[in-house]
Amino acid sequence: MRMARLARLELSEEEIELYLRDLNGFLASGRKLQQVDVGGLAGTSHALTVGTVLRPDQVGESLPQAAVLAEGPEVMDGYFKVPRIVEGQE
Amino acid sequence: MNYDIVIGLEIHVALLTESKFLCSCSTAFGAAPNTQCCPVCLGLPGSLPMVNEKAVEYAVKAGLALNCQVHHFSRFDRKNYFYPDLPKAYQITQDTYPLCTDGYLEYYIDDQLHRTAITRLHLEEEAGKLIHSGGSIVDSEYSLVDYNRAGIPLIEIVTAPDITSPRQARLFLEQLRLLMLYIGVSDVKMEEGSLRCDANISLKPQGSAVLGTKVEVKNLNSFRALERALEYEAERQRIVLEQGGKIRQESRTWDERSGRTASMRSKADAPDYRYFPEPDLPPLRLDPAWVERIKASLPERPLERLRRLEKEFGLSRYEATFLVNYPDFGQLFLELAVAGGDNRALINLLMGEYAGLAREFGHLEPERLTELLAIVDEGLITHSQSKAVLEELFRSPLSPRQIVKEKGWEVLRDVEQLREAIQGVLAGHPDLLDRYRAGEERLFGFFVGQVMRAVQGKADPKVVNQLLKEELNRLV
Amino acid sequence: MRRLAQLLAAGEITSTELVRRCLERIKETEPELNAFITVDEEGALVQAAQSDERRARSQALSPWDGIPLAVKDNISTKGLRTTCASRFLRSYRPVYDATVVERVKRAGLIIIGKTNLDEFAMGSSTEYSAFGVTKNPHDPARVAGGSSGGSAAAVAAGQVPWSLGTDTGGSIRQPAAFCGVVGLKPTYGRVSRYGVVALAPSLDQVGPLAATVEDAAILFSLIAGADPRDATSTEARPFALPAWDPQVVQGLKVGVPEEFFSSGLHGEVEAAARSVLRSLEEQGAVLQPISLASNEYAIDTYLTLVTAEASSCLARFDGVRYGERVPAGDVNTMFAKSRGAGFGPEVKRRIMLGTYVLSASHYEAYYEQAQRVRTLIRQEVARAFAEVDVIITPTTPTTAFRIGEKRNPLEMYLSDLYTATANLSGVCALSLPCGSDARGLPIGLQIMGNHFQEELIFQVAHVVEANVERVAGFEL
Ligand SMILES: [Mg+2]
Ligand SMILES: [Zn+2]
Repeated sequence: MRMARLARLELSEEEIELYLRDLNGFLASGRKLQQVDVGGLAGTSHALTVGTVLRPDQVGESLPQAAVLAEGPEVMDGYFKVPRIVEGQE
Repeated sequence: MNYDIVIGLEIHVALLTESKFLCSCSTAFGAAPNTQCCPVCLGLPGSLPMVNEKAVEYAVKAGLALNCQVHHFSRFDRKNYFYPDLPKAYQITQDTYPLCTDGYLEYYIDDQLHRTAITRLHLEEEAGKLIHSGGSIVDSEYSLVDYNRAGIPLIEIVTAPDITSPRQARLFLEQLRLLMLYIGVSDVKMEEGSLRCDANISLKPQGSAVLGTKVEVKNLNSFRALERALEYEAERQRIVLEQGGKIRQESRTWDERSGRTASMRSKADAPDYRYFPEPDLPPLRLDPAWVERIKASLPERPLERLRRLEKEFGLSRYEATFLVNYPDFGQLFLELAVAGGDNRALINLLMGEYAGLAREFGHLEPERLTELLAIVDEGLITHSQSKAVLEELFRSPLSPRQIVKEKGWEVLRDVEQLREAIQGVLAGHPDLLDRYRAGEERLFGFFVGQVMRAVQGKADPKVVNQLLKEELNRLV
Repeated sequence: MRRLAQLLAAGEITSTELVRRCLERIKETEPELNAFITVDEEGALVQAAQSDERRARSQALSPWDGIPLAVKDNISTKGLRTTCASRFLRSYRPVYDATVVERVKRAGLIIIGKTNLDEFAMGSSTEYSAFGVTKNPHDPARVAGGSSGGSAAAVAAGQVPWSLGTDTGGSIRQPAAFCGVVGLKPTYGRVSRYGVVALAPSLDQVGPLAATVEDAAILFSLIAGADPRDATSTEARPFALPAWDPQVVQGLKVGVPEEFFSSGLHGEVEAAARSVLRSLEEQGAVLQPISLASNEYAIDTYLTLVTAEASSCLARFDGVRYGERVPAGDVNTMFAKSRGAGFGPEVKRRIMLGTYVLSASHYEAYYEQAQRVRTLIRQEVARAFAEVDVIITPTTPTTAFRIGEKRNPLEMYLSDLYTATANLSGVCALSLPCGSDARGLPIGLQIMGNHFQEELIFQVAHVVEANVERVAGFEL
C-alpha cells in the first residue's frame, strides 16, 4: 500500500484491510465536502489572521550535548546512530 | 544530428545569520557534533518554529539583487519526507507562494553579456549532516547524524532552463556566488556547503522548440565539478540519442573519482512531498516601505562595479574583471584610485607582485600602499627597488619611507658618485670596452647592469643610462 | 480555589498537606479510574516543601502558590515522562517545559502528575490509550470522554483541584461535559502551544479544567498571553479575572443555533440546555435563533484537516532522536517497524487518512476543499457574532457513553459534532455542567464567544453556574 510506504508505517495484512475499509468510509465524507459550493473562497490555513511575527537574529542557549543525545535510542561519539541508509541490495 | 543543450540550475545558499532560521541556536561552522541544538531544531515533540528576521531580510536582499519581484505576501509550507537528517520529517520551505519570483542575473562570457532568468527564490531550512561509516553512502553499514547544521537558513534559487552550455552554467554560478558575496548575505563556500548546486540538463535537436527529457544531476561540490558533470552528462545523453535510445527521467549523482554520473533514482520513485501550508507560522507579510529601504541600501553589485571600473577608472576588461572577482583587491583599488586619474601604477602593483604576497599574508594597510606608490613617483626609490620595499612591508610594521631609510635604499642622486662607479666598471673591463668600441653595442646593457650592481640597485636606471652614454662617448 | 488560597495564606494548611491529600485521593480512586499515566509523588512533595518554605518567608509566587495541578500527558514537562499515551514515547523524558508548564510553575503550582488521554489526543473517549481506559467517575462503566479524559476525570473525582487539557475538536469540553466539570477551549492563539505535542497545529489549544467557573478562569489567567516562542500566539492578550457581575446577562444577546438542537440530540440533554436558556431569558438575556448551517460539514472538515496535519506532525516519531526504536538493517525499515510497533490503531488510521488527503493526486479535492469549507464555517460564525454576544448549545449530543460502545471510528468522530466549529473558526468556547440525566450522568452546556471574548463567556457561565448543582470536584 503506497500510503503506508509514504508514511513509513509497517502494517499487518489485517491492518491494511481495516484501514482500507476506513478509508472508503472516510472518502464518503470527503465527497460530501466536495459537494459544498465554496465559490471563489480562499482556504483557511490559520484560524486567526495573525500578522507577520519575526524574532531578532540573536543567539540563545543551546542544549548541552548530553541533553541532546539523552533520549537517543542509539548514539555514538556525540552523534545519533542510524542503520544503513541505502536499502540492502544483496 | 546536432543538439542544443538546455540547462537549468537549482541553487541553495546558506545565509550568514548569527542564529538559525527558526530557533536561536548558533550557526557557527565546525563545532563539536550536536552542541548547537535545541528542542526546535531537534524537532522535539511540542517545539515550535519562529522565523529569524535577518533571514527574511537577507532573502529579500538576494531577491532584489537578482532583480526579482519581492512579494509582500508569501507563505511557508511543509515538505514532508523521511530522512534521518531531517528532524521533523518535514522541511519548512515555501512552495505555493515563494518570497521572490521573476528575476534575472547578467554576466559576461567572453565579452558577451548574457542574461539568465531566475524563476523563483524562496526561504527554507537546512537539514542536518550525515557522516557515513564507509567510503560512501552506498557502502556504509551505518551513518551518524549531527544536527548542528539543521535549521540554518537557506535560500533556494531556481533558474529558468536558459543556460546552453556547461561552461555557461559554471560562469553563471560564479557570478551568482560573487553577487551573494557582494551583498553580504552568505559566505558562499562550496567546500563548506554554504553554496550548493543541482543541475537539470536535457538535449534537443538543434533549433527545436520541444524540450527533451531532463535529468537531474546532484552532488556537484565545486565549480569544476559542475562543468565537468554537465559535460559528461551532455555527452552521455548525446550518445544515447544518437544510438536511437531514450533518455530516462531520473536523478543522477556525480562521482568525482570516476568522472561519471550514476543513476540515483528514476522519476517513478520520486517522493510525494505532500506539501501543505505550515500551520505553525503565519504567512509572511512584508511592509513595502521596509522592502524599499532594503532596496535603497543594496550595495554595488559585481556587474555595476565592473562597468564603473572601466568607465571611471579607465581599466581594461581584464583588469576590471580581476578586481571584481577579488572583491578585496577591488575594495583596495577603489580606496586608492582616483576616478579619471592615472591608475596604471596602482593596478600594475595590485595585479603584479602584490597579488601573490597579499594572498599569502593578507592585505596591507591602504596608506602604506599609497606611500609606496608615492615614493616611486617622487623618485625616492626606483621601480625595481619598490619590489624589495613591498616584500619588506609584509614583514615589517614600518612605513615605506622608514623602510627605505633604515635599509639605505634611497636612490643615489650624487652624479659624481655615479660617474665614479661608471668609471670603475669600465676600468675593470678593458677588454669589453674594446669590443664595445669595435661596435658591439649590446654590451651597453651589460655595463648598465654592472653599474647598478655596483650601487646596489639604488640608482635610477634612466640616470645611469644617461651618464654611461656620456662617459662612453667621452672614451670612444 | 479562593478558599484554598486563603487557607494557605493564613497558614491553616500547608502545600505539603494539600499534596498529600491529593496523593491519598489518587491512591483511593486511581485503581478504578486510571486518570493518570504518571504520578510524580516524590517530585510533587519536593515542590510542595519548597512552596511551604516560600510561604514561611512570605515570598509566595502568587496566591495560588502550593496548589497542586494535573497536566495532560501531551504537554512537555522537563524531566517528567511525557508519553502522549503512546507506546512510542513510553519512556520519553523531555528536556524542556512547555510554556504553559513554565507559567504555572512560575505561579507556584505543583505538578502532581500527568493525565491519561487518547494516544496523541486522537479520540473522544480516552479508550485509545496505550495506558488503559480512563473511567468516568460518575459511572465506571462509562467513558470519561476525550481526549483530555484523564484531566477531566481527575478533577471530577477530586484527585486534584484543577488540570490542564488540550482541545483540537472538543477534547477539553467534551470530557468536561461527560465528567461534570468546567473546561475552556480558549481563542486560537491566546495560549501558547509551545511544548504541546501537536495533533493539528491550526486547531490545537491548551485550556483549563476545574470544578467551578471561577477556578477555570483563575487557571486560565495563569496561562494566557503572548509567547515569543509561538508565532501563532503573539496577538494574545493576558487575561485578568473579571469582577463576576451578575448583570452581565442583562440585554445579552444569546444566539441559539437551531442546527445544534436537532436530530441526534438526546432529549434530556436538550431539556437541560433549554432550561438554562429559559432561565437566562428570565434574567434579562435576549434569545436569538441563528443558523450555523455549515456546521453540517464541521466534522468532515475537521477530520480532513486533523488527519492531514497529524500525519505530518507525527512523522517526526521516527526512532532516530527519541522514542522506541525497533532495530532493522536499513533506516527505512527501521522507521516503518518503529512506527508500526509504537503507534496504536487509531493513530495509524489517522496517519493513513492524512497521508492520503495530502498526497499529490488528492490534495486539491480533499485538503484544499476542506480548507475552503473551513473558510465558509469561519465566515458563518463571524456573521453570527456580528449579531449576538454569545452562542449557547449543548456541549455534546449525549451524556457519557459506555466503554466499548462506539466501535465505528466515524461514529466516535461524531462526539465532536457541536464542539469542532469553535476550533475551525478559532473562537473561544467553554463547557460547564447544567444538570444530570436520569442515570445521574452530567450534562454539559457550551457557551461560545467571539475571538478573545473569554471574559464574557466566563461571566455568563458564572451566572449559569449559580443555578446549577455542583456534581463534582475537590474536597478537603
Ligand atoms: Mg530546496
Ligand atoms: Zn535550535
